[in-house]
Amino acid sequence: MDQLLQHLLNATVLGGTYALLGIGLTLIFGIMRVVNFTHGELYAFGAYCMYLLVMSLNVNFFLAFFLAVALGAALGGAIEILLLNRLRGADIDTTMLVMIGAWIVMQNAEQLTWSGIALSINSPFPADPLVVGPVSVSWNRIYVFAVAIVLIGATYYFVNRTRLGKAMRATFQDRDTAALMGIQINRIHTATFALGSSLAAAAGALLGPVFVVTPTMGDLAASKAFAIVILGGLGNVVGATVGGFILAFAEEIGAGYISSGYRDAMGFVLIILILLMRPTGLFAQKERIG
Amino acid sequence: MSRLLSFVLVAGLASVPLWLRDFYVLHVLITTGIFIIAAMSLNLLLGFTGQLSLGHVAFFGIGAYTSALVSLGFEIHVLPDVTVGLAPKPVWFAMVTGIVVAGLTGYAIGKLSFRVRGAYFVIVSISFAEVVRLVAVNWVELTQGPMALNNIPALTLGIGPIELSFLRKPSFYLLVLAAMVVCYIIIMRLVNSRAGRAMIALRENESLAMSVGIDVTRYLVIATIVSAAMAGMAGALYTHYIRIVDPDIFLFIYTVTMVIMVITGGKGTLTGPLVGGALFGILPEVLRAMAIRPEVQWIIYGVLMVLVVYFLPEGIVPAIKRSLAGWKRRPIDAL
Amino acid sequence: MKKIATLAAAGLLAGSAFSGAVAQETIKIGVTQPLTGAFAASGNYVAQGAKIAEDEINKAGGVLGKQIQLIIEDNKSNPTEAVSTVEKLIQKDKVPVLIGAWSSTLTLAVMPKLEEYQVPMIVETSSSGKITTSGNPYIFRISPTSEMEAKAFQPLVSKMGIKKANFLYTNNDFGIGSGAEYSKMLKANGVEIGVMETMDPKATDFSAQLAKIKATGGDTLFVTTAVEQLTLILKQAEEQQLKVKIVSCGGSNSPDQLIEQAGAAANGSFHTAFFPPWFPEVTKNPDVAKRYMNEWKKRGHNVGGLTEGFRGYDGVFVAVAAIKAAGKADPEAIRKALWGVTVKGIYGDIHFTKQGPAGKESGQNLPVVYLVTIDNGKVVRTKF
Repeated sequence: MDQLLQHLLNATVLGGTYALLGIGLTLIFGIMRVVNFTHGELYAFGAYCMYLLVMSLNVNFFLAFFLAVALGAALGGAIEILLLNRLRGADIDTTMLVMIGAWIVMQNAEQLTWSGIALSINSPFPADPLVVGPVSVSWNRIYVFAVAIVLIGATYYFVNRTRLGKAMRATFQDRDTAALMGIQINRIHTATFALGSSLAAAAGALLGPVFVVTPTMGDLAASKAFAIVILGGLGNVVGATVGGFILAFAEEIGAGYISSGYRDAMGFVLIILILLMRPTGLFAQKERIG
Repeated sequence: MSRLLSFVLVAGLASVPLWLRDFYVLHVLITTGIFIIAAMSLNLLLGFTGQLSLGHVAFFGIGAYTSALVSLGFEIHVLPDVTVGLAPKPVWFAMVTGIVVAGLTGYAIGKLSFRVRGAYFVIVSISFAEVVRLVAVNWVELTQGPMALNNIPALTLGIGPIELSFLRKPSFYLLVLAAMVVCYIIIMRLVNSRAGRAMIALRENESLAMSVGIDVTRYLVIATIVSAAMAGMAGALYTHYIRIVDPDIFLFIYTVTMVIMVITGGKGTLTGPLVGGALFGILPEVLRAMAIRPEVQWIIYGVLMVLVVYFLPEGIVPAIKRSLAGWKRRPIDAL
Repeated sequence: MKKIATLAAAGLLAGSAFSGAVAQETIKIGVTQPLTGAFAASGNYVAQGAKIAEDEINKAGGVLGKQIQLIIEDNKSNPTEAVSTVEKLIQKDKVPVLIGAWSSTLTLAVMPKLEEYQVPMIVETSSSGKITTSGNPYIFRISPTSEMEAKAFQPLVSKMGIKKANFLYTNNDFGIGSGAEYSKMLKANGVEIGVMETMDPKATDFSAQLAKIKATGGDTLFVTTAVEQLTLILKQAEEQQLKVKIVSCGGSNSPDQLIEQAGAAANGSFHTAFFPPWFPEVTKNPDVAKRYMNEWKKRGHNVGGLTEGFRGYDGVFVAVAAIKAAGKADPEAIRKALWGVTVKGIYGDIHFTKQGPAGKESGQNLPVVYLVTIDNGKVVRTKF
């Protein structure tokens, strides 16, 4: 029983970060239809920013987080303007290829700058975990969970209740009409990509101190993010949040009770099963064909 | 491309082992050729039917593993005391089995995944490749998992008293070249046939195609079977050339490489994968020879890729076609 | 104008003669390592160690009257690329001997090529038993196999009072091999085996596995993986209040890096090492170890890499010893000579014994294995 409680606690905490990764990507992949292979790199970028700010420049831990997120947004915006703007009308796989190229360049630039050696970031939290009866969790992870929930709530509010959010949704549902209504399409594209990227950077900045920072850390994070986006339905923030928690629970329970070898396959197995039964994910509308 | 031109090109390529003494360059040509075959097969799905399959390496790997296992022989326990085994078979038989199994897997996946489209299909294809990789890693009794299947025999063909061994590079190069030509012809025939026209119709506008009575799923499945079988053949060639196979064959970077070759070359064209494949297959070795830091080599590779797609979003071959057409003032559509 | 032309021509001639002469003066040694990709950190350490050896040997006059030249290629942590690097090194650079390829998968991938071209390779890190038992007479391994490591650990089992052991290892040849050998050894010594958990080599969260391990009530946890995951395991074991003895195996564990990154969570953990830079005086050849360590620190390399860089260092010295014994830079002569060399290296007194099917044996060295403990932020010899 204790083991189960610990698994559930682990899954809840993990789910928060997975959800954060997922909603960033669901905005980009789901709404903008860009197969964003740089999402994992923005995650790594957020972590490396934290390392640079906290360890090399001695910036306050919490201030560094805000800076890392801001830098992530800036980088995302820059990628959109430089690389995607011109390819606005191109096919999904052409933009995907540009994203792949950017992914290769970013990952190797990180290795060039910091080498492949794992880096750790000091956090101000006590090293001893919080122990509540038979289960325990580290303070750092509680902080991560709390911030993730706040960010998720903020994103949901932003996308569904603000004018800018509405403009975003309008642009990607029907670009021409949105343009006719006076929406600045180019700015919306940049803003959406920047928002999604900033969430990925936030996830990286939160998890960098929990784990270690390496140039390849984004790859696994990105594949989970894609899985979550599909589970939750393209473009659906609530869906991605739920999807993140579902994935975390599936991994924890699967690894804990079935087989740890297949732990990271849980997500993919889930996707295949769910998509076979509900071809549009758990929440989304039916995908228009053609 | 006119018949004469293609014949001259193939003959020229076939003569390479006669005058090229540098086995390293021959090795690069062989591995590039194998990946070009895989890229051509991906082009069938990606370019002609418009389905972005990012799990293509799964078929490549299944072909490789099947061929390796059949040529080495294996024994597994299906129940605690019931074993199923296979004695080692000749390599050509193993390769054919690899192609068939890959094709069958394509059929199964095609039937299942084409209930979804677009972005969902992309993810399902990635998931499928990942699950196959994890099976290869964890089903140690069959695949040896990460401990790898090694000492895989090379291909030898015995025709009566003559025995041809494909261990040495020149002969293997010719084998790969032959396979490439065969695949090209198969794809060309398929694309120009009725099935091919149906596929192009569904790429352009699926709902419209359905509305005129084209059985979309059926043609997608045909394309997937052919595509998967071809990728499986590339995998079988790979495994009998490198002569070791382990779950690293399912690395996502291989799918990425194939995708790069197809899209930069020009998806939906017949020669696109050849051009893109030649360029991005040989480029890493050119960069390696330039004595630059390894990370910088990768960065240059990535930048070049982005530049090609940025300035020629439809690919190199369509861009060449357009400039040639403008130059000659008549359409060229056989490329 | 004519004067300039003549000067230029003379300069060119002199230059080409000079470079021609210089080119003749080097004996090339090929090195294939993962310099980018998943294993980049370790591959770069090995390359750095190899370069230290290269400079040391050249300063002392080289070998056979010529300087040695390492040609280091990046195999990108990818088996196909590993084969390409070996092809390039053998065909283009015409190296008579190789060192590589770091991981067992990469080494296995290049083995058929070694046999095809008949060039020997010194294996500096790989641990899979298959490498020396596949019947490839061109393989000479100086690193220990997991089996040898487990055997060396045997006398410590009762000393440590291990009654029930659990395993957590990374799901690749390195982790699986180590887990298999250690559990076999433990079972043979009367230890109960609890669970054998695995993790993906790229995973960063092991909470599920650790919770499961905690629930079994074992007293010792054997972990085999690289230092990045080990850091996280130590931290997460602390988070989950897993109060057991943790022993890390495999030699890719870099205790210095663990102390730096896992902090207090690393205290009390045990680690097997094939080279203890914290007390080099206990090694078989302390003066060699100290030379290597001093140069490493002088070059400003990461101290955490000492435990991996030495593999490249020893590899180069073994290659050079064989070249010297062979009397010429010829692959077959070097291969024959490798059987007879004895090198005072950091791995110990390196020499090769026969392993594998008769008639096609590979060479295997028998290095020393040490056990260290992290105590209060310092690495000490394990005391019983």
